Amino acid sequence: MTLLLNMLFAGTGALGFTILYNAKPETYVCAWLTGAIGWMFYYIPAQYIDAGAASFLSAAAVAFLSRTFAARKKCPMTIFLIAGIFPIVPGAGVYYTMYYLVTDQLRAAAMKGITSMKVAFAIVLGIVVILSIPKKWFFVSNWRRKDVEKEYIAPSRK
Amino acid sequence: MSGMKERRELEETEKLEQIQAIEADAGSVEITELSGDKDETYRVLELALEAGRILLRNGGEIFRVEETVWRICENFGVKGLDTFVLSNGIFVAANYEGRTIYARMRHVPLSGAHLGIVAEVNALSREIASGKVGLEEAFLRLEEIKKIQQHPLWLHTLASGMGAGGFCYIMGATVAESGATFFIGVFLHLFMTLLRKSCSSKVLLNTLGGVFITVLAICGSHFLPFGFQIDKMITGAIMPLVPGVAFVNAIRDIADNDILSGTVRMVDAILVFVYIAVGAGAVLTVYQNLMGGTLV
Repeated sequence: MTLLLNMLFAGTGALGFTILYNAKPETYVCAWLTGAIGWMFYYIPAQYIDAGAASFLSAAAVAFLSRTFAARKKCPMTIFLIAGIFPIVPGAGVYYTMYYLVTDQLRAAAMKGITSMKVAFAIVLGIVVILSIPKKWFFVSNWRRKDVEKEYIAPSRK
Repeated sequence: MSGMKERRELEETEKLEQIQAIEADAGSVEITELSGDKDETYRVLELALEAGRILLRNGGEIFRVEETVWRICENFGVKGLDTFVLSNGIFVAANYEGRTIYARMRHVPLSGAHLGIVAEVNALSREIASGKVGLEEAFLRLEEIKKIQQHPLWLHTLASGMGAGGFCYIMGATVAESGATFFIGVFLHLFMTLLRKSCSSKVLLNTLGGVFITVLAICGSHFLPFGFQIDKMITGAIMPLVPGVAFVNAIRDIADNDILSGTVRMVDAILVFVYIAVGAGAVLTVYQNLMGGTLV
C-alpha cells in the first residue's frame, strides 16, 4: 500500500514539474511514468543499501527511461529527465544543510552537506553512464534493419 | 591647454577618417567577391543564430544549440562555419575563401525554462535537416514558435501544488501533511507570480519565497489541529522553487564536456538553493527564539 502510494505521489509530483516547465501535453503520460518508476528504483533499494548507491541506480534508470521515451516521442529527453530526477534531487538535504549553517550547528551541517554532495555526484554519475551509450541503440528500427539513419554529431564536436 | 585639446581632436578625426576608409574598402571587396549568394548566406546564418538563441534562452543544452546551428547551416550549404556556445552567449562566425563574411554574438541572459519551445525548435531543426522546410518558411515557423505562450496560470498553480504535495509525501510525510503542502504550493505560486511582476532580482525572489513557505508551514502546524510537522512540509514546499532545469542541464553540459557552461549553471542552481534556505532559516531562527521550542 505504502509502495503504491509512493509511486502515485512521486509520479504526480513529477508531472507537476513537467507542467510547470511548459512541456507539451503529449509528454505527460511518459513523464508520470518516468517519475513513478524512477522513484521505485530509489525507494526499494534505499531500504537495503546506502542513499548514494540508491540514487545512482535511480538516476541510471531515469536516464534510460528518458532516452527511450525521447526516442519514441521524438522530443528532447530533458523533459523526462527533469520529471524523473526531481524526486531524488537532494533538495531536502541542501535545505537542512543551510538550516544547520544558519542556526550554527556546524557538525550537523557538515554531515548533511556531505551526504547531499554524495547523492548529487551519484545522480551525475548515473546520468553520465547512460548518456554515453550511443544514440542509435535507443531507436527500435536500429534492431530491426541495418540501414538506419546515422546519428548527427555537429562537426565541431568530431 | 586649449591648443593641445584641439590637436588631440584633430588627431582623433583623422583616425576616424582612416578607419572609415578602411571599412569602406573592406566592404567593397566583400561585395565584389560574393555578390550572388551573400544575401542568402546571411539569411541562413541569421536563422541559425536566432534558432540557437531561442533554444538557449528556453533551457536547451549547449550541445543541442551547437547541433541545431550546424544542422541548419549545413543543410543550406554554408561552409567554413565556427560556433562557440556558452550558457549565456552564442558566437557564430562564417568564412568564405579565407575571409570572414559573418561574425556575430548574441547575449542570452540566464532565465526561466520553457521546454515546449525547446521541443518545437528541435522538431523544426529536424525538418530542416530532412529538407522539408525552406529558408523563408523556417523563418515564419520560428516567429510562430516565439509566440508560444506559457500554460495558463491556473494550470501552473495546480502543477505547483501537485509538485509540492507529491514530493512532500515521498519525503516521509503523511497524506494529510501532503494535502496541506499542496495548498502551500498553490499559494506559493500565486505569491511568486505577483512578486515577479514588480521585482526581478533572483536573490530577493527566492529569499522571499523561502520566507513565505516557512511562515505558511509554521501557521499550518500551529493553527490547524492536526499536529503537522514543520520540516516535512517545508522540504516539500520548497520543491517548486528548486531550479530543476538548471541542475539537469548543468549535469548534461558537464557530461558533454562543456565544463564551463555546466559549472555556471550548477553555481546558478546552488545559489538559488542558498537563497531559499537563507529565507527559510531566517524565519525559523526568529520563530525558535520567540517560541523557545526545538525544531527540525
